[in-house]
Amino acid sequence: MGEEERVRAGLLSGRRPDQILEAQLSWIASLVLFFSTVYVVLKVDVMWVVFGVAAICLYVLPIVTMRSLFRVLPWEMTVLLAAPLLLHISSGARSMNDRFAWWNDLTSLAFALALATIGFLLTVELVMYTSVRMNKPFAVLFVIMFTLGASGFWEIGEYINDEVFGSSYVKSNYDAMTTLLWTSIGGILMGLFYALYLKVMPKKRLSTFGLIHLYEVQKWRKG
Amino acid sequence: MEERLKLASRAMQAGMLGVALAGLVTSNFMWMPAAMISLFISAIPAILRRDLGLVLPVELNFWIVLALFLHVIGGFSGFYDNVPGWDHLTHAMSSSLVAALGFVFVVSVDKYVESISLPRSFLAFFIIMFTMAIGVIWELMEFANDQLTGSRLQYDLDDTMVDMMFDSLAGFIVGIAGAHYLTHTAQEHFVKSLKVDRARKKIRGIMKKRARSKGGK
Repeated sequence: MGEEERVRAGLLSGRRPDQILEAQLSWIASLVLFFSTVYVVLKVDVMWVVFGVAAICLYVLPIVTMRSLFRVLPWEMTVLLAAPLLLHISSGARSMNDRFAWWNDLTSLAFALALATIGFLLTVELVMYTSVRMNKPFAVLFVIMFTLGASGFWEIGEYINDEVFGSSYVKSNYDAMTTLLWTSIGGILMGLFYALYLKVMPKKRLSTFGLIHLYEVQKWRKG
Repeated sequence: MEERLKLASRAMQAGMLGVALAGLVTSNFMWMPAAMISLFISAIPAILRRDLGLVLPVELNFWIVLALFLHVIGGFSGFYDNVPGWDHLTHAMSSSLVAALGFVFVVSVDKYVESISLPRSFLAFFIIMFTMAIGVIWELMEFANDQLTGSRLQYDLDDTMVDMMFDSLAGFIVGIAGAHYLTHTAQEHFVKSLKVDRARKKIRGIMKKRARSKGGK
C-alpha cells in the first residue's frame, strides 16, 4: 500500500496535507474564540467570560495533555464554539437585531449549538481523563441534560447579573423563555446529532483528534 | 416511623381524592384534572411495587405524595395566589423530588449497566444538571400553557427566575447530600434495597413473553 504524501520539513513534518488543513482551520477558529474571549474580558461581560473561558479550556486540554498541536478539535466544532461569542460581540448584530425579527432567534440557536458542543466535549474529555464511563444512549442523554441545565443556570446567572450589576441581559420573561426554548431544541437535536456524527466520522479522522476513546471502549468492563 | 409516614401518605391521597370529589360536587372543575392526575402519579410507586417488585424508600414515597398534595391543595384553596412563596415552596418540593428520582436513576444505572461507570462527584454533577434541566422543561411547559391558553402560570421574570433558583437549590442540596450519603452507605446496599435487579428480571421476562407472542403470530 502506497504511503500518502506527507510534509517533510519543520513543525508540520510527518503530517498529511489534509491533516494540516484540518488543523489550520481549527486553529483559525480557535483564534476567533480566543480573541472574542479577550474582548469580553476587557468589556467585563461576566457571563460571556465564563462561556469563553470554559470553551477555551476544553479546547486546550487535549492539546496540552497530549503535547501535540494537532490534537485539536474538529474545525466545525470549534466554529460552533466561537459562533455565539462572535455573534454576541459583533456590533453588526445589534442593527441586525432591529432589522430582522429572527436574528435574535439565530443567536439563541447558535448559543444552543455551542452549549451542546461544550456538553459533548465535556463528555468526551470526562471519558478521556477521568474514570467516568458512558455508553452511547447515556452520553446522548447527558449532552441533552447538560445543555438544558446549563441554559437554565445561564439564565439565572444573567438575571443575577442584571439585578446586582444593573446589566441588561434578560429583558423580559418572554425573552428568557424564547432563549430557553431555542436551547432545548438545539440541545435535543445536537445530542442526537453528535451520536450520529461520531458514527459517521471516518476512523482516521477520529484518531487524529484523539476522540477515538469515546464509545470505542466497548470491551471495557467494570473492575 | 415508617408506619406513620405511610399513614400520612394515605391521608394526603385521601385529601387529593377529596379535592377531586369536591370539584365534582361544586362543579368547580378547574383543579379536578390536576387532582386526578396527581392521585394517579402518587399511586405509581405502589404499581411499580406490585408489578415489578421495585421498592422505593418509604421516605421517597412520602416525599412524592407530599409534593403532589401541596400542589393540588394549594391550587384548590387558592394558596398559589394568596400565600406568598407558595409557588416557590412547591417548586422546591417538586424539584427536590425530581433530584431524588434522578439520584435513584443514576445510582441504579451505575450499578447495573456494564458499560457505564459514574464516580460519586460526577453523580452529584449529573443530579444538579438533571434537576435544572427538568426545571427548565417545566418553565417552558408553563410558558407554552400561558401562550396557548392565555392562562397565567408565570407571573413575571422575577417569579420565573426565583422558581428556577429554587430548582437549582434543590438540585444542589440533593446532589451533594446524595454523594455524601453514598460515601457513608455502601452503594451496593442502597441499590439492593431498591430491588432493582428483581425489577430488571421481571422486565426481561415481560419482554421475552412479548417477543414470544409476536413470534407465535
